[in-house]
Amino acid sequence: MSIKLIGFPASGPLLKVIITLRELGLPYELEIPSNIQAIKEEDYIKNKHPFGKIPVLIDGDFVINESRPICTYLVSKYQGKHNNTNLIPTDVHKAGLVGQYVSYESSYYDPPISKIVYQEIYARKFQNKDPDPEVIKQAREELAKVLDVYEKILEGKEYLNGEYSIADLFHIPSTHYVYSIDAHSDLWDSRPNVKNWWNRLCNREAVKKTIDEIAK
Amino acid sequence: MTIKLIGYPISTPTLRVVICLKELGIPYEFEPPASFQALKDKDYIANKHAFGKIPVLLDGDYVINESRAICRYLVSKYQGKYNDTILIPSDVHKAGLVEQFISYESCYYDSPVSKIIGQEVFAKKFRGKDPDPEIIKQGREDLSKVLDVYEKLLEGKEYLIGEFSLADIFHCPCTNLAYGIAAHSDLWDNRPNVKNWWNNLRNRDCIKKSFEEVKN
Repeated sequence: MSIKLIGFPASGPLLKVIITLRELGLPYELEIPSNIQAIKEEDYIKNKHPFGKIPVLIDGDFVINESRPICTYLVSKYQGKHNNTNLIPTDVHKAGLVGQYVSYESSYYDPPISKIVYQEIYARKFQNKDPDPEVIKQAREELAKVLDVYEKILEGKEYLNGEYSIADLFHIPSTHYVYSIDAHSDLWDSRPNVKNWWNRLCNREAVKKTIDEIAK
Repeated sequence: MTIKLIGYPISTPTLRVVICLKELGIPYEFEPPASFQALKDKDYIANKHAFGKIPVLLDGDYVINESRAICRYLVSKYQGKYNDTILIPSDVHKAGLVEQFISYESCYYDSPVSKIIGQEVFAKKFRGKDPDPEIIKQGREDLSKVLDVYEKLLEGKEYLIGEFSLADIFHCPCTNLAYGIAAHSDLWDNRPNVKNWWNNLRNRDCIKKSFEEVKN
């Protein structure tokens, strides 16, 4: 039975899962809900996600939601089964540090970058509002401080923990969205280690394929 | 060499790690930082936590930070070594669900509880301000919706995935602070499954002992 993934194609959390599925060489089917209302219906809340969110992954009878848990579940069950790509090291100390960088992404990187994504992409598209320049300015300043820390962390390293891991992967969707806006790519391009890291991530097959699909 | 934990007991992230260490029966030394300022020192930033935060765990030469990452590391390295307590099941599907509920805690539960305790516990103590009733009201409303979901999720279960797990532990520190405020315990006590769950948690030996450390 094929893995089924439920979500809206451009959603950042969904893209985390799609990149993970591709990195692990896992076939899957994508089911797009008919509209936003569909994920708030009683049946969806009861059987798919009690908070009415996407993505949701269905693996046989097993239903799991929330993008980062879905990804770590896929790694723990399927890593090494379809190809040699390692997203979480088996060594307990290396895996611990991957977990630490996963936490950096959600604690420090995601909040400011999500503000920019919301203002630049969602405000107009879904709420008919203009982007708020004050919010964007504040978020850029906050993200700049985070990227200064990343610049040091990446010194002498290709990826956050040295080798490519799920920690790097989790940064990709939101970074792609903001980096693609000309006014903001400087945040990454003006920091040599960060710039190299981002370019390396964009050049991975699974990432390239996924990003190309978003463009369409 | 004994494990060393750097942090403050009143810090909810530090307390997550304290509970985890105690539940797994791992001996450790607790080291509060010299001051808040010490966390921003160049040496601390370079060698302990790149963002100047607590907690940080030292296990021999190994340094790891971010509370949830530290706890997962402790489980993967020491679960079953000192006692029989299981915080993350070996079954890959059950473990996936533990991660899902950990994500619920950080995405949905933590924010409204933090609004409440940010005002009631921390505003005066650390910022010299009176609690803001508007923020508290909003926090209570948001938390009520989350706890309505938890009430359903806990139907027929003692703990979030059935058995006690790391997901339950992660909810403890902030709940302890909010529940301890008389005006807010109703949020948990008004919902039978939630009340039962919280009573189970706060009566566990290790959790009780950990909460004592916050008081002192």
